[in-house]
Amino acid sequence: MKRPFILIMVAIFLLPLAVRPAIASEIWIFAIFGLGLNLLLGYTGLLSFGQSTFFGSAAYVAGWLMKIHGVNAFLALGIGVGVGAASAAVVGYLCVQRSGLYFIMLTFALNQLFYFTAYQWTSVTGGEDGMPGVPRPALLGIDFKDPLIYYAFVSLLFLFCLWLMKRIVESPLGKILQAIRENEVRAEAVGYNVPRFKLLAFVIGGAFSGLAGVLYAMLFGIVPLEAISFVFSGNVVFATLIGGSGSLYGPVIGSFVFIWLSESMSTVWARWPLLLGMAFVIVVLFLRGGVVEAWHKLSLKFFLRK
Amino acid sequence: MKILETRKITKSFGALTAVNGVSLAIEAGSLHSIIGPNGAGKTTLFNLLTGTFPPTSGSIIFDQKEITGTPANRIAHLGLARSYQRTTVFPAFSLFDNAWVAAFATGKSWNGLMWKPSGGFPEASERARQALHDVGLEGKSTQLAREISHGEQRQLELAIALAAAPRVLLLDEPAAGLSPDETRKMVALVRALKGRYTIVLIEHKMDIIMSVSDRISVMHFGSLIAEGTPGEIQKNPEVRRAYLGGVAA
Ligand SMILES: Nc1ncnc2c1ncn2[C@@H]1O[C@H](COP(=O)(O)OP(=O)(O)OP(=O)(O)O)[C@@H](O)[C@H]1O
Ligand SMILES: [Mg+2]
Repeated sequence: MKRPFILIMVAIFLLPLAVRPAIASEIWIFAIFGLGLNLLLGYTGLLSFGQSTFFGSAAYVAGWLMKIHGVNAFLALGIGVGVGAASAAVVGYLCVQRSGLYFIMLTFALNQLFYFTAYQWTSVTGGEDGMPGVPRPALLGIDFKDPLIYYAFVSLLFLFCLWLMKRIVESPLGKILQAIRENEVRAEAVGYNVPRFKLLAFVIGGAFSGLAGVLYAMLFGIVPLEAISFVFSGNVVFATLIGGSGSLYGPVIGSFVFIWLSESMSTVWARWPLLLGMAFVIVVLFLRGGVVEAWHKLSLKFFLRK
Repeated sequence: MKILETRKITKSFGALTAVNGVSLAIEAGSLHSIIGPNGAGKTTLFNLLTGTFPPTSGSIIFDQKEITGTPANRIAHLGLARSYQRTTVFPAFSLFDNAWVAAFATGKSWNGLMWKPSGGFPEASERARQALHDVGLEGKSTQLAREISHGEQRQLELAIALAAAPRVLLLDEPAAGLSPDETRKMVALVRALKGRYTIVLIEHKMDIIMSVSDRISVMHFGSLIAEGTPGEIQKNPEVRRAYLGGVAA
């Protein structure tokens, strides 16, 4: 229980020494995004292929409010959480009644709907060019323009999100969502309104995504169109599966691997996604539990053998 | 007193009428068995009683209240719990968690649903422990459901139903696929539960039925063809025909 926490603390302190603060911040932001997805994917067994709907919507709305109306960072983050949750409520409501492939396709299709809305609505979103000029307003007198201070802020929020998600998955709700993943028919029969619990998972996941979206917009000062596209939806699924969807820390590790790799490799080798693709194939074929499972297996093999 | 009643319920799947105008009354505290050849509509009747799907026509009354069309998750809260003919458990969960999830669902309060550790619900935990104890699985509570034997999974199937602390237990062939030895254990278990719960039991094995039932209803091609005490059913010529028809003809 304690060890992952210590490892994460160490990583938070060492990361800015290894990569640019912006990339370090992006890792924890993406991890928050992944935590939200994994409540659906790992715990409830729902593969949502449209998480950027919530991430992007929150980024646009909060970004626009900060840019045009000078809303403070605190309020912007709150609004982002709200927009993420609300858009997830709408999407979730439409999706939870379906299952299997239909469910996945519907999350994807609705994502496309949001994407094209953003694409067309150029007066607000800037369309393909993205929405630039998102400020990073000071909060309680702290100037977030300093990348390291912003990094510290993001790290704190990430730790809070991790703690919150840990509470959630260890609560009865976490058990119920896993019960739905394990056996939907029985979960319903023992007394749970399955669609409603799935919707709740969506809303919570959407709130996390929304927070991540606003932090992302503040980090880069822009909401790129990609932030609401299937690319981001795919990336977060990808990262979570590589890290391991079966554990709380899987998406955190996945985000670490994904962002770091994509940052360091993209400047060296233009075809780096090939590498990620290979990692993905390996995970799908041999290592369903991702990096977390690999770690467990290795530690069992080498460290725990007496 | 009648605790559970159906009035002329019918369920059709397209052209097939799986349950056809069945009127049934279950006496509180009794063990009422439902028998009938394969495909007679017994499981479908349970699916109707527990709200898996609504009947095509007819009504269901539980504890003097009409519950026709009530969805499955609400039925559980009314005090009707079932077990399944085909094992339907939570494979990656420990046996304790299997029972706990059912116990929590029908527990007194969901306060703290999203933030209290799931260990912090003593009532649900106690009920889960008791349910596992009742079926004789208390020694394996930390094992995973997918790792235990088929016989033990059948016991777990029952424990999940018991954990809900129901008033009426609907057991769909609890001894399905069990060895003679395991079957004996299961019969003893059902016998031990008799009196503590109102039980509706679906079973194929005649010797079991005759020895444990207070009353027996016989289904054939979706319809009720006889009802009575074990003695009456044994003598009923129509029942003999339904069961032996294929062989005697
Ligand atoms: N969901 C369904 N859709 C279509 N047909 C169904 C459905 N459920 C049951 N049936 C059909 O209804 C009839 C009755 O099935 P049911 O499972 O109720 O029989 P049963 O008495 O439980 O039989 P068994 O002793 O083999 O378990 C069968 O012909 C079955 O194929
Ligand atoms: Mg059956």
